[in-house]
Amino acid sequence: MADTQSLQNILRDEQRLPRVPEPGVVVIFGASGDLTARKLVPALYDLAAQRRLPLEFAVVGISRTEMSNEEFRGKLRRALEEHRSGEVSGDVWESFAGGIFYLPGDSKKAETYKGLKELLKRLDSERGTQGNRAFYLSSSPSLFPAIVENLGEAGLSEGEDGGWSRLVVEKPFGRDLESAQELNAELQRYFDETQIYRIDHYLGKETVQNILALRFANGIFEPVWNQHYVDHVQITVAEDIGVGTRGAFYEEAGALRDIVQNHVMQVLCLTAMEPPVAFDAESVREEKVKVLRAVRPIPEGEVEDYAVRGQYERGWVFGEEVPGYREEENVDPESVTETYVALKVFIDNYRWARVPFYIRAGKRLPKKATEVAIQFHASPHTPFARDDTKGLAPNVLVVRVQPEEGLSLKIGAKVPGTGFEVSSVNMDLLYGTAFLEEAPDAYQRLLLDLMLGDPTLFIRADEAEGSWKILDPVMRHWSQKPEVSFYQAGTWGPEEADDLLERDGREWRRP
Amino acid sequence: MIGESRRAPGGGRMSVGQIERELGKLRTNDDGTLALRSSVLNLIVVTDEESAPEITDSVSKLAGRHPARAVLLISDPEGETNVDVGLSAFCHARGGSGTQVCAEQVTIHAEGPPAMHLESFAGPLLIPDLPVFLWYPGEFSPRSLEFAAMADLADRIIVDSAASESHEACLREIATLVEDPEMPAIGDLQWVGLSPWRSLLADTFGAPERAGDLEKFESAEVLYAPGGENRALLLVGWLASTLGWKPERASRNGEGQKIEFSGTSGDISVVLSPDSPDARLRRIRLYSEEYSFQVSRHRELSDVRTTVMRGDELIAERTVHLGAFDLGVLVGEELRYRGRDETYEGSLRAAVEILDL
Ligand SMILES: NC(=O)c1ccc[n+]([C@@H]2O[C@H](COP(=O)([O-])OP(=O)(O)OC[C@H]3O[C@@H](n4cnc5c(N)ncnc54)[C@H](OP(=O)(O)O)[C@@H]3O)[C@@H](O)[C@H]2O)c1
Repeated sequence: MADTQSLQNILRDEQRLPRVPEPGVVVIFGASGDLTARKLVPALYDLAAQRRLPLEFAVVGISRTEMSNEEFRGKLRRALEEHRSGEVSGDVWESFAGGIFYLPGDSKKAETYKGLKELLKRLDSERGTQGNRAFYLSSSPSLFPAIVENLGEAGLSEGEDGGWSRLVVEKPFGRDLESAQELNAELQRYFDETQIYRIDHYLGKETVQNILALRFANGIFEPVWNQHYVDHVQITVAEDIGVGTRGAFYEEAGALRDIVQNHVMQVLCLTAMEPPVAFDAESVREEKVKVLRAVRPIPEGEVEDYAVRGQYERGWVFGEEVPGYREEENVDPESVTETYVALKVFIDNYRWARVPFYIRAGKRLPKKATEVAIQFHASPHTPFARDDTKGLAPNVLVVRVQPEEGLSLKIGAKVPGTGFEVSSVNMDLLYGTAFLEEAPDAYQRLLLDLMLGDPTLFIRADEAEGSWKILDPVMRHWSQKPEVSFYQAGTWGPEEADDLLERDGREWRRP
Repeated sequence: MIGESRRAPGGGRMSVGQIERELGKLRTNDDGTLALRSSVLNLIVVTDEESAPEITDSVSKLAGRHPARAVLLISDPEGETNVDVGLSAFCHARGGSGTQVCAEQVTIHAEGPPAMHLESFAGPLLIPDLPVFLWYPGEFSPRSLEFAAMADLADRIIVDSAASESHEACLREIATLVEDPEMPAIGDLQWVGLSPWRSLLADTFGAPERAGDLEKFESAEVLYAPGGENRALLLVGWLASTLGWKPERASRNGEGQKIEFSGTSGDISVVLSPDSPDARLRRIRLYSEEYSFQVSRHRELSDVRTTVMRGDELIAERTVHLGAFDLGVLVGEELRYRGRDETYEGSLRAAVEILDL
């Protein structure tokens, strides 16, 4: 085996050509659903068309709706044309679709897995998929335990004939610490943690990965990236859209669960973590978990001093009048679900002692923006200030993730003239512009990593739990006190959020 | 990508200072704000009068993907002494804020003796701290003093072994350059064009049960278009150097050529045949005792079909995009790569050994 293994790599030029995964099958649970048609299959198609997938590859879809293989393929093709801008080549599609199969069945029933097992065996022999399979759970989280148990009982949690078996879990990873722990325990009953790939598509974004590149590939930032130089950090994940048609879902979730627990906490980790020894799954995830562990627990009785929730009311966003949250479809007219969250957290470690991290995320804010702003201490003494103004504005380094990836540094410069007046200038670097390649879609990147067996950009169990642990006291307090502050759509959140910083003598940036 | 080409008036001889100043002005937007300059590399291109329009076009297209300071040198050593400088910038808006970002291009038309000292133009115009790529889209004379002076400036040289009158001689010249320790790394566009083919062929051995056949090839056939000789030779050179085939004999075979190799477990005969002119490479087939492996390009589309057969039985089949192959894409691929490409160098050596038979 070792011998053929080395033989197999002879023609692969990994120095120059992209890595191609081993043969294998992706099995999607929730195949008739939205995510499959809109994201998963288009991403797989693009990967296949661009020669990034192995020759021996297949997709199996499972859901209850009765469909033939042909009907399933037809549905996916229509979705592909609808959700993807580029052209779909007939021959390429036909060849890809030839490897797509549909298995109608209830994922709660054992017989579905009997059928699945047979189908997978057949694909191994007919399409050469080598006993390797990835199970993608793209259905309601309430089905996860049943699917995992059935896979395990059917012996599918191990690959066939020495092949691999991997499990992909979509968010949400639970609703709170307890349910996350339960879910993890369920998953781990049948799958080893190394087989589990929890997806946070935020980590698949080039721009998010660039936070790491920026910090650790550039010697000049790290020395000042700590409490000696940093006054505080602001992390903003702002959306201009409302809940749209996802009202029912959002009523259950709210901004804290929908955005903060996963995306925002990931950005916090990438911003605050220590340099990993290597860019591999365990080193990177270990450092992220250390950050989560170091976050100071919010005292149960003082939640209001650290957390603010808000909900948007009718207002104007970029020239358009938009309804308030309570007027949205499938939303309770008296709902207290938060569409905005602001938090103050401390990371109690050597690097970040006493540095507050202010975090905010919300919908119907004035614009879409994701950024991390590092505000440095003001110059301790300025020889130039001639008047009794507050002196110079402190330096701010902003790492912008969306919409325009880049870096900006606010610096003081001399205003031309005979005096010595100094004023702030923004130095903008759009490093995104340096490489105009179209960044691959986040799902493409993550599906490829999954097939390659690289979990670096996936969430480990203790990361998911660590993040819930931080938010648990807030959620408990909020559920005991069901009320919410309001903000007009198209503004930067409720007044209480401003107060949160004002109490510390600071203010929010305008992104 | 939507962009805007900006051109500076001027021309004639200009000083380095004037050029930098005018380029700065080119970046000034209509509303007085200054567009950003974004560059990841320096690209020096040496071409002649005749090819200049096509090359200029490719260079400005490249600016979109690989923002560079491009220095385009149009050389005409035969003419009367004359130097003419043209400046342009390719600018486009990024993201929501509409910030403009520009890549700059300096075109220098040198006639007479100045054309023999192109390095004296290129050197001062390079942006510091960024790698320098030197691209010869057409014929080049690797033995000349001018070439050596230009190569001195470069971190990597990009050539096209198919652009020369004699493709054989050119391949040999490049092989000599590759062995020269003084030379920077070299890339050949004919090799870059093979990337998808190499990757697709490698894919056919992804199944462990077929990997063993890599040692058991008996024969191969390559169909190429006139002008694709070097691409075909490099492909065979690649197979020979990675699979350990030793070239033994070559003979004519109709319009084409038959080359015999000795391998670790037997002899391999490879037939190279010219085919219709629409694609540099049309098809490659590899035969082992049990299987045949084929990668074949569609006649009209840029789709490519891979098949693995056992006798008459189809074992695996797939159609994917081969990708675009215009000049810009090929050069772009080379610009992504910084180091020495050892696989290429090994394939090139093997290709020259075949020529030496
Ligand atoms: N859509 C997104 O953009 C998005 C983004 C991030 C995360 N997610 C997550 O991804 C998952 C899927 O989301 P979605 O939007 O695609 O949901 P969806 O459109 O509601 O799809 C749910 C799928 O599950 C199937 N299903 C339900 N009960 C089943 C059963 N008992 N047995 C077998 N199949 C069953 C449904 O098909 P049948 O009715 O035919 O059985 C359907 O195919 C969820 O966990 C969601 O939180 C979605």
